[in-house]
Amino acid sequence: MSNMYLIPCDQVRQTLILYIDHELSSDQDYQLYQFHFQECPPCNEVMVHESAALAFMQNLLRTSCNEEAPEDLHERIRQQTEALAGQSQVEFFSSSTTTITNFSFDGTTSIQVTQEFTHEIRHDFTEGQ
Amino acid sequence: MGVALAVMDAPNTELAVVDRAPESAAQKKARFERDALQYTNQLYAAALRYTKDPHDAQDLVQDTYAKAFVSFHQFEPGTNLKAWLYRILTTTFINTYRKDQRRPQISDGELEDWQIYDAASHTSDQGRSAEDVALDGIADLDVRAALAAMPEDFRLAVYLADVEGFSYKEIADIVGVPAGTVMSRLHRGRKLLRASLADYAKDRGFNRGSSDSHE
Repeated sequence: MSNMYLIPCDQVRQTLILYIDHELSSDQDYQLYQFHFQECPPCNEVMVHESAALAFMQNLLRTSCNEEAPEDLHERIRQQTEALAGQSQVEFFSSSTTTITNFSFDGTTSIQVTQEFTHEIRHDFTEGQ
Repeated sequence: MGVALAVMDAPNTELAVVDRAPESAAQKKARFERDALQYTNQLYAAALRYTKDPHDAQDLVQDTYAKAFVSFHQFEPGTNLKAWLYRILTTTFINTYRKDQRRPQISDGELEDWQIYDAASHTSDQGRSAEDVALDGIADLDVRAALAAMPEDFRLAVYLADVEGFSYKEIADIVGVPAGTVMSRLHRGRKLLRASLADYAKDRGFNRGSSDSHE
């Protein structure tokens, strides 16, 4: 008990959300917090309540925000994919103004497809059918 | 390398390991249809939160899949396809659909107080349970309206974290802001939403309770 729960209560409270969101940076941090919660009923109580409140809200959001896409949209996307696959990339890009489309998570990403570019694509399919 | 974003805990993110040797156009298309199109419903629900309009939401999802298809060769197999698609969806939304919307600007610099965890505002056990019990009766429509009423930056952060279950880092990549900014938006957004939902629940309770005195 000389450790005063290893990390102080105010630090635990201030960063509690990181614990609840599983965003602490290391396993060691989790062990520290868990130790603190074992030793400190007031902090543990706050943690339990906050976790429950957040889980409750998340559940509410998930059940309210699960609309299904109209079948029409599924169909248009299927047709769009067929048509895009039917064009050669060269042909496809030569008809547009923008050629760089790089969606990666490597930090060097540039995302430069223009609005015009995709609207053209979309109109092809919506009007074509 | 997309290692940091390699398949997360969600059960439906499993991806086939694909040989990076030349893939025929037909193979690419088949892989796209198999792996990417399964997210249409999810992306549509997200697009509804982004655009707040069913027609715009459909356009946004369709545009997202057009862009995703033409840049699919740049997607690193084995990394998180869902996060990749959300990034395209979000970037497209930010660059296109919201351009002419007047949106209240939130200065991220002022939001660095996310760490100041406001336990005091949640008061006692009784208060908490009463709030949650009240929220039990809240309608889907109210939840959607409460979300829709939130400032866009908060709405996106809350949606991506609390509905889609993305990590702070993933949200940072999807939205294109630092992880610290995500934390502050998420923290503020959750507080706002919680308060707003409580208001909706209270209104419902009031209307129910006083319904016989109306009409």
